[in-house]
Amino acid sequence: MSLRPQTTRAPARGSALFRLRFGFVVIAMVLSAFGARLLQLQGIDPHAYAAMAAREGVQTVDLPAARGAIVDRNGVELASTVDGLRIIADPQMTEENAGPIASYLSQELGIDYFATLGRLRKDDTRYQYIARRVPSTKARRVVDALEEKGYKGLTTERDPMRDYPADDIAANLIGFLGEDEALAGFERTFDKQLSGVDGETTYEVGGGNRIPLGTNNTVKPVDGQDLQLTIERDVQFFTQRVLREAVRGAKADSGTAIAMNVETGEILADADYPSYNANEPLESPKRNLGSRATSDPYEPGSVEKVLTFASLIDAGKITPRTPITVPPVLESQGAPIHDHWDHETIHLTAAGALSKSSNIGTALSARQFTPEQLHAYLTAFGLGQRTNIGVRGESGGRLPDPSTWGQLGQDNIAFGQGLSVNAVQMAAAVNTIANGGIHVDPNIIKGSAVTDDGTKVGTSTSTTRRVVSEDAARQTSEMMELVTDPVDGIAPTSAITGYRVAGKTGTAQRVGKECACYDGTFTVSFGGFAPADAPRFTVYVVIQNPRNGQGGGAAAGPVFRKVMTYLLRKYGVAPTGTSPTTLPVEW
Amino acid sequence: MSSPLPQSRVRVQRIAEAAVERARLSVVPRLRTRTPRVPFVTLVSLLLVAGVVGLLMFNTNMQQNSFAATDLEQQASELTAREQGLQMELEELRAPQRLAEEAQRYGMVPAMNPAFIKLQDGKVIGNPIPASAADAYDVRPPEARKPKALDPDPVIIKVKRKTAAERRAEAKRNNGSGRNDSSTTSQGDGSTR
Repeated sequence: MSLRPQTTRAPARGSALFRLRFGFVVIAMVLSAFGARLLQLQGIDPHAYAAMAAREGVQTVDLPAARGAIVDRNGVELASTVDGLRIIADPQMTEENAGPIASYLSQELGIDYFATLGRLRKDDTRYQYIARRVPSTKARRVVDALEEKGYKGLTTERDPMRDYPADDIAANLIGFLGEDEALAGFERTFDKQLSGVDGETTYEVGGGNRIPLGTNNTVKPVDGQDLQLTIERDVQFFTQRVLREAVRGAKADSGTAIAMNVETGEILADADYPSYNANEPLESPKRNLGSRATSDPYEPGSVEKVLTFASLIDAGKITPRTPITVPPVLESQGAPIHDHWDHETIHLTAAGALSKSSNIGTALSARQFTPEQLHAYLTAFGLGQRTNIGVRGESGGRLPDPSTWGQLGQDNIAFGQGLSVNAVQMAAAVNTIANGGIHVDPNIIKGSAVTDDGTKVGTSTSTTRRVVSEDAARQTSEMMELVTDPVDGIAPTSAITGYRVAGKTGTAQRVGKECACYDGTFTVSFGGFAPADAPRFTVYVVIQNPRNGQGGGAAAGPVFRKVMTYLLRKYGVAPTGTSPTTLPVEW
Repeated sequence: MSSPLPQSRVRVQRIAEAAVERARLSVVPRLRTRTPRVPFVTLVSLLLVAGVVGLLMFNTNMQQNSFAATDLEQQASELTAREQGLQMELEELRAPQRLAEEAQRYGMVPAMNPAFIKLQDGKVIGNPIPASAADAYDVRPPEARKPKALDPDPVIIKVKRKTAAERRAEAKRNNGSGRNDSSTTSQGDGSTR
């Protein structure tokens, strides 16, 4: 037993050495082959292979940030984001049945048949958009129905969509979104705040399911923040409808109505007509998409007399009982100034000049001011400067430099011609009288927000300043009460039974776009507040170019009355029960 | 092996027989206890099988959970979508536009003369006047103006008045062939426009 291995051991030992060497060589060769391959994979073009591997099983999904809603003062959503889906086709699978699929899709989704057909048949691609921003229940129903019929190749992907539940309510302010970006209004101005930051997640998938222990990177999306307005949806709705009725009834070009909270300057309604449906912005002409209340300046006309008289009273130049002898015509630098009605020389008090809207009486009284004095008052009322409430494309209007006025210029400006304002500005100016002589910055954003040009806006940035004394404001308000007097006033249609209402009509000549001169058309307006002795709301209505010959009282007055009545009723403001003013109109 | 032993035994016996007796070494049979292999193998294989099966089950379970998670996620998103759909429907139902239209259908108008009752003494503040139809306002949006292509001017075709003789002749013809003829002629008129 022990001898046999001894005899075989010698030749075996030599061969073992040989085998060992041979083995090493083989291993070295194999290892160097591996090394070469490694160098090829990692050294020469590592990224392409990594990408290839990733494509095989790693999926990256965008996590879109939810866009903030735009809500009214009570939190009712005026613009909200809902889950939508986009429908995607794989033309390689849909090509053979393109006809029936396209006809079904065009029927169900209202999309163009031929465009869809083209997409379903497109070569060299496996990804074609068929429809975007489809409500998800609808999209799923359509895709499932097609699958049931045996047509494959359609899938859905997440595609959040913007919904404006109230269609045209405050649409001119809110604006709208395009396919991928905010295009107009608050949507665009406050896009940064509303949109948030998108996130994304990467994970490995196998057979459509996430692999449990595979790589998984997630960057969480940061959702956008809501934007709260001072608008009240129901008031806005009512104002828009009443304004629309009035503008259409007067066959006018356009109209604006603003309702404000006297004390806070918060705008409860900012209506424009013509408006548009925010869900279908492309169906309306482009000129109707902005907010005329701030973008279209106009000459305010007689409503501005309120500011002139308040300034005169504040400066101690007149009282409401100051007698004025009003001639039939007033000469001003060679130009005649007329009143809106023909009269002989009449004897009006200052209150009468305002309530009967006498241009001559106003101009005569305002001649006690130097142009600089009147200019300073009007500037303090906010004229000639942008309100910066956060609405896009605001025009600040134009209050000419006092050195250029001359006698005629000053006379004109005293009764509201020769200067331009925007409706929000003018509403805030009238609101100053309502608020006891303190001007409050108008506001449409609750809290604070930063616009796309970096301006901070909102109720928390609002400032106040005293323009005229409380006494002057009260006396002006009493003078304005005469306007709505059901018997003697010139705008009895603005009176609200049981309440003391202060108001002022305005009928101004309009400057035509082409000739840059008064072209014979008018801007009619009405501004006022109620209850006159304890004001809660200011409402200002402007109607551009009525073609039925109505003045401010007849055309804009009823809008004022309806909106004001609605506000008083909605917010439960009872009549004050005090007796109306007894200021004399004549002497 | 056994021959020298008696000699030494005799000599040592004299000295300390008992101690020698105790120290005497003898060859004992080798004690070969064969530990049973079965329990160990069973244990190891059990551990191995349990490990593999456990791992497999754990993995399967995780995969199952993953399927379930995918399913539930889908269900959640479907339910969210449904909730949003319903929410949208609700918003539509409570939209001021719809409510105003509905109210108007019932003949309601906004109250244009607000008045208040003081609960303490029943006194009426304000001047209550019943609302009238004149207080109604235009709720419906204006009808969209159709483009010219969809709303063409009416085409007026002037037809010469037939003489009594011609009318009589036509009546005679129509009596024979019935209504079909006249309807096709009028259709022909329509299509040529």
